[in-house]
Amino acid sequence: MLKLRRDTAAQLLALVTLLGVAMAFYFSAGTRFLMPGPMTSAHGGIEACSACHTKSGTGKLGWVHGLVAGDPRADSKACLTCHKMPDTAFNAHGASADRLQESTIRLTKIAAGRALPPSARAQSVAFPMQDVVSGGLFCATCHQEHQGGKFDLKRISDEQCRSCHVVKFDSFDGSHPNFDTYPFKTRTPIIYDHAGHFGKHYPEIAKKEPDKRIPETCASCHDSRADKRVMSVMPFEQVCAGCHLDQITGKTRASGPKGVAFLSLPGLDLETLAKKKAPLGEWPDSDAALTPFMKVMIGRNDKGRALMASVANVNLQDLSTASDDQIKTVTDLAWEIKRLVHALISGKASDVLADLNIATGAKLSPSLVADLTASLPRDVILGAQQEWLPNLAQEITGGPISPAAAAAKAQSNQSPPVADEPPPPEAQQSDAVSEPVATDTEAEPEGDGKVAANKVKLDPPTCVLRVLGACVMFKDPNATVPPPDSANDTAGAADNTESGPVPSTARTLSEPMRAGLGDVVPAASPERTEKVSDKKDDLLFPTDEERRELTERRKAAGSTARPALGTAGGGAVSATEGSPVDGGAPMIAIDSGVDPESWAEYGGWYRQDFAISYRPIGHKDKFLYSWLFLTGPQAPKGSTSPAAAVFDVLTSKDAQGACTKCHSVDDIAGKGRAVNFSQPSAQSKKGRFTNFIHEPHLGMTDERGCLTCHSLEKGQPYLKSYEQGDARTFVPAFGAIKKDVCQTCHTSSKARQDCLLCHKYHIDGAVTPVMSTKLRAP
Amino acid sequence: MSDVGAAMGKVVARSAAPPMRARRPMLGRYTGQAFAIVTLSAGLFGLVWLYGSALRDPRYLDGWILAGGMILQLGFHIAVKSGGLSPKSAVRWRKVHVLLGYLLIAAFASHCDLSLPETALEWMLWTGFVLVTLSGVLGAYLAWSVKVRGIVDERTAFERIPEQRAELARKLQTLVTRADPASAALGLPVPPHDAWIMDLYTTHLRDFFAGQRNVSAHLVRSQGPLKQLTGEIEDLARYVDPQSKDKLTAIRELVVEKDRLDFACVQQSLTRGLFFVHVPVTYALIVLSILHVVVAYAYASGVW
Repeated sequence: MLKLRRDTAAQLLALVTLLGVAMAFYFSAGTRFLMPGPMTSAHGGIEACSACHTKSGTGKLGWVHGLVAGDPRADSKACLTCHKMPDTAFNAHGASADRLQESTIRLTKIAAGRALPPSARAQSVAFPMQDVVSGGLFCATCHQEHQGGKFDLKRISDEQCRSCHVVKFDSFDGSHPNFDTYPFKTRTPIIYDHAGHFGKHYPEIAKKEPDKRIPETCASCHDSRADKRVMSVMPFEQVCAGCHLDQITGKTRASGPKGVAFLSLPGLDLETLAKKKAPLGEWPDSDAALTPFMKVMIGRNDKGRALMASVANVNLQDLSTASDDQIKTVTDLAWEIKRLVHALISGKASDVLADLNIATGAKLSPSLVADLTASLPRDVILGAQQEWLPNLAQEITGGPISPAAAAAKAQSNQSPPVADEPPPPEAQQSDAVSEPVATDTEAEPEGDGKVAANKVKLDPPTCVLRVLGACVMFKDPNATVPPPDSANDTAGAADNTESGPVPSTARTLSEPMRAGLGDVVPAASPERTEKVSDKKDDLLFPTDEERRELTERRKAAGSTARPALGTAGGGAVSATEGSPVDGGAPMIAIDSGVDPESWAEYGGWYRQDFAISYRPIGHKDKFLYSWLFLTGPQAPKGSTSPAAAVFDVLTSKDAQGACTKCHSVDDIAGKGRAVNFSQPSAQSKKGRFTNFIHEPHLGMTDERGCLTCHSLEKGQPYLKSYEQGDARTFVPAFGAIKKDVCQTCHTSSKARQDCLLCHKYHIDGAVTPVMSTKLRAP
Repeated sequence: MSDVGAAMGKVVARSAAPPMRARRPMLGRYTGQAFAIVTLSAGLFGLVWLYGSALRDPRYLDGWILAGGMILQLGFHIAVKSGGLSPKSAVRWRKVHVLLGYLLIAAFASHCDLSLPETALEWMLWTGFVLVTLSGVLGAYLAWSVKVRGIVDERTAFERIPEQRAELARKLQTLVTRADPASAALGLPVPPHDAWIMDLYTTHLRDFFAGQRNVSAHLVRSQGPLKQLTGEIEDLARYVDPQSKDKLTAIRELVVEKDRLDFACVQQSLTRGLFFVHVPVTYALIVLSILHVVVAYAYASGVW
């Protein structure tokens, strides 16, 4: 009887329970009633179960859909809505398969012969990991929700870490493997030879310039205030500029041009072109080379690229053996250059550069164009055009003018234009050409040439009022113009005239370096090409060999040719038969006696010979940076593309600005090359398995300071490793950190030693994106 | 005398305490069982820890261990109810039932991560399991303690206690009302010994034997009321002749047997009451557990 009652009660209670649950479920709002526990505080605001449980449908019974097998990754992908991660998020550590394989191979070697801890052995036997990791490691593998608001969702035990790893050990102070090459996985982005500076440069500077500030401690250059993880280097201006700023601006440059030739009028074999009756129009007798920047600009469209490809193997200054097709190609090139110059004057630089077919082909932003041209003043180009191609506007609109017409035009230009007079016909077509501009201080040619120059190109009146770049009021043309001091420049012009073809010293310069130069002492001769192993971190202090070479060059230059600084280089069109003659330089109002390059001592644009050059203004020069940044991805090593030519010029050993003296250049697989302008930061440390923070350790060092952990390795070929582009092939300046150093504190009885103290699972971290918010239309 | 002895012999033999030799193996057996339970529980915790260390959700392992154990317990219940077990098998399986119940406590503790629940459904599950477990453990303890003390043997069927109690009352009445034939044969004035015994009967014994008495004392396993009553009997025994002394001795044994029956009745009532909780709540728990498993898999993250 009792049993019967008990059984009846049992059945009744089961029924009541069922009904009670059903009613509670029915009357409760949503399905939170089923929730097994509160979520962590960070996720507490999530209301809908389906936000994370993607298999759950809508409605109160929608959750039953979850019983049907679906995409096992779906829930984890939902996590990535807020926690942005790369495509490899579900790989172990979020690392790429290649990287994991590489690590596994390395660690397998370490693991060979090591004894497994008993618990690890038991776990491997009882619950092998292959089936867990084979399909990917999903978020909930480690982060298990619904365990309360204060639950540490990121908590993971050492044993859990160990379960996947090839190398299994008990603890850090136990059988954790010794460090290999930590912390150096790649070379440092900044090339800084600590040993060389400590042992050589600083003592020498202290001896020569006692007043100069020399770093006393590591903290003089490094600090961790901005980024507690990395001992970052203080700004260049604070710690490097004292010695290295002049190298950037070129003040201490012993040889070679101090500016980068940007635009030039390349020298052509005018005699042959005239013989072949090439419709060249006016062209000065330049001996400059085509700058790589011009190659990039000319090659901004298909036609230009084809043209550049056609003239790639043509010696522009010796066309005696050129075929008719090559003559035509050279003529086309000349006209393309004319059109480029014209476009830069008549339009905006952004109109020309915006079409540059470099980088990804995307349209360049105005700010980038401004950086790429370093805000090149229009007047500089205009002045160059007035001197080099005075009839450019007429030629662009009416085709090539004959040499006779050019001479006549030059005659007519003897009288400076009067403001009240109507503009000449060509001026109606191009305001840019007709606009009188005060030219740079150029030296005059001497003798007949001087007369010719005066006839051809008189200085236009000075503009006294300019609005938006256009001159609205000119200086009275009848005003007295001080006579130019021709004494200095005459010699230079004479030298240039007498020297005839480009001297051998100038020829030895690389083509881009030679651009626009009549005759300069080469920055690098073949003899000076150093062996790789001889490379030194020294521009301030030339070696004895270098000093001797410089002395010899100065002597040679004194007797034969001197740099044609400040000369026009014969940039005039001949009055007869279309051949160029000397003496085409414009009349100058003031002769400062300072060559243009020196005039631009503090950086900026200047015109010299047949080139418009840019002299770096200092550290972080935007012109150099933007060209390196833009051309690097298109400049794989060995490439002959125009972009690669620009990159090579700016990263060569003797490049102006000396950017790559300190900023290393990395080969990026499939992406050209990149100059490392950024110094290490926490951001740049992404992708690493080890996570070290300097800050808490700074007070733990002994009397050796930083050297407690970082031992300076002297005599290592540190600099040599920067001569190639693989950042992972290198020789560190400091020795690797030893495990014993860490183990002085991190033991079971002292400081923490769990895996997550030093290692991070998500090597690339996770980013929480700003949710898109649509703004209402007004 | 001999009649008294013959009448009471069965009672005396049943009430005799088990010998010490028999208790020692029993204690050893229980100690062994306790050791096995502790060892298996520790092993279960270790297994779950190992499972969790292998990047798996341990709640699935201990959850299924718990569910599996509950299914086995339910199977035992069904077998008992359906009468599919022989009495010997039933006894054996009851031991397994109790042992498995102890192991399920460890599985439950592991499944709850040694913490209290935080939601209504979990509280219901938790409360159900705790009630089932407590009622089971207490019932098992009662059975064990009674058995160890030898107060109630297995032959003391709960349903027969009232009958046995009435039998004792009849025996007592017979004993008290029977006159001593030897005294009557002497022809001397009758001593008042029988009157004293009758007085004892009317003032104390009749009511005591009328039904279940001293429930609260038996719940707490107090023997105070019994000692008080037997004390009265022993006090009287000092003033009576040997024949009456024998009678009082027989009465005392009847009192002890009646008290044993009362104790058995209380204990078995308590046990049955606990079963009244244990079984119905188990049914409710099974309903909730099924729902819990369905929900757990419906909301599974797809990892396991």
